[in-house]
Formats: sequence, C-alpha cells, structure tokens
Amino acid sequence: MQELDPLLQLFEQVEFLLLAGIILVFGYLALEHKDIVYAAFFFGVMASFVAGLFLLLEAPFIAGMQIAVYTGGISALIIFGVLLLPRAQDRTLEVLPSPRARKIGLLLSAFVMAMSGGLALVFPWSTDIPQGMPEYAQSLQGLAEWLWQSHGLYVQIIALIILTTLVGTLALMKMEKAETLKDITAEFGVEAAPMPDDEKTEEATN
Amino acid sequence: MVPLSWYLVVAFMLIGLGAYGMIVKRNLIRILIGAEIMGNGVNIALVAFAVYGGVFSYTPQGLVILVIAIAAAHTALALVLMLLYNRRYGHVDLGSPVQAEVK
Repeated sequence: MQELDPLLQLFEQVEFLLLAGIILVFGYLALEHKDIVYAAFFFGVMASFVAGLFLLLEAPFIAGMQIAVYTGGISALIIFGVLLLPRAQDRTLEVLPSPRARKIGLLLSAFVMAMSGGLALVFPWSTDIPQGMPEYAQSLQGLAEWLWQSHGLYVQIIALIILTTLVGTLALMKMEKAETLKDITAEFGVEAAPMPDDEKTEEATN
Repeated sequence: MVPLSWYLVVAFMLIGLGAYGMIVKRNLIRILIGAEIMGNGVNIALVAFAVYGGVFSYTPQGLVILVIAIAAAHTALALVLMLLYNRRYGHVDLGSPVQAEVK
C-alpha cells in the first residue's frame, strides 16, 4: 500500500464518516419508516452505501456483488413481497411492541453496540492495510481460479444448499397452491374435502 | 488511513441495529430487514478483519461472495414463508389479535 499524503488521508476519513453516517441513518429508516415500501427502499439504499465501504476497503468484487445481490436482488425481492402482501402495507394493522418490550429491545441492542464497539475502539488493531493486499483484490482471474479450481467442491456444496433452498421454496408455494384446489388435495397426503354442491354447479357453469 | 476500529464500530452498530429490529418489531418484513442489516454488518466486519489482518487472500473474498449468495436464497425462502403465513392468518404481524383465526 503506497503512502497517501495527509490531504488524501483526511479525504478518505471524511468519506468513511459520511458513508458510515448515511448507512446508519438509512438502516434506522429501513426499520422505523411508517410506510413499509419505503422501508424496503431505504434498505436497498443502505446496501448500496455498504458497497461504498467495500470499495474503501479495496474489495471491488465484493462491492459489485453487494450492489448486484443486495441492492438489485434482495431489496427488489422484499418490495415484490410487500406488494404481494397488501395487508402488510396497512400501518393500522401493524402490532406495535409494548413500551416494556421496546425498552428491553433498545437496552439489549445498545448493550451489544456499546460492548462490541468499545472493544473495537480499545483493542490495538492495526491501522494500515499491509503491503500486497490490493493485488489480491484486483485479480478476478485469481478469484475465479480459487473458487473453481482450488475450492470447487465447497462451491458446489454451497450451490447445492442454495438449490435445495430454492427448490424447497418452490415446493412450499406449489403445495400451498395445490391445497387450495380441492380436487388434488389427496395427492399431497391431505384428505380430499368434499366440495359443496353450489361450488360444483358454479364450476360446471364456468 | 481509516483505522480498522472504525470499520468494526460501524459493523457492530449495524449488528446492534439489526438486533433491535429483530427484537422489537412484530412485522415479519421488518424482522427480515433487520436480519439483512445484521448480515451486512457481519460482512463488513469479515472483510475489514481480512484486509487489515493481512490475510486478504482469495479465501475471505470467496467466503463473503458465497455468504451474499446464500443471503439471497434465504431471503426468497423467508418471503415465501411470509406469503404462507399471510394466507393462513391474513396478516404478517406476529402477536396480532386476529392470529388465532385460522382460515
């Protein structure tokens, strides 16, 4: 890591503080904003600023993945999920925690923040990135070789886990859909419910 | 140069914020957002430790990339479970008074 002049160092620190402030504010808004669609949107914005921190840490591929998956994928997925759940958008139906539960939650999270943040500040961590680190971060070919040649087995195991999760997700959706269709409920091990007569006549007319 | 401790403080604050969301909130979507915020904090801590600790080879990078990919899959699963919860109970709020009214 080449030595930066003091002005650049100051600029980097100011950039970090700005990013950190924006991340914490948007993270808070993602949890506390009244409108849940906006909350999901703020989460996406927060995730893209976290990518800025990864860029400051000289890890551009992780920043790219962060933007592609968190900002582009997960926040969009949450927004679509909210749109599929119309009652989730109704603030009047939301159950608010009791003041006691809220206080306990606040105390616990403040305790986590204070203890771990205090430890992070007190412990004598290194203040500089060691030599040679950016070379690792810049080599996409090296990363691809590490992933697919040296550790291909682990990648395949992870891919299988993800595939299993997605297949399970689809199966859950299909099973639920199938249970709503009375004719084929028996295929899924649930006893077929007798269909009322007026429903039968409705279906026949359709 | 930004010291490692600054990154760790931000990471731990994000973890605390996510924990707050998961403990206090009753809406399942907000709980999921809280879990994702915690995940972001963990990723920042992992990368910062790896970069400043002098072990930033391909291992931490590959690890974080795989963690991000798994986060996407578990979000999809969580959303489907929420849809199922909504179909069964008609809402996505834990502890709602109408929770016992199964359709």
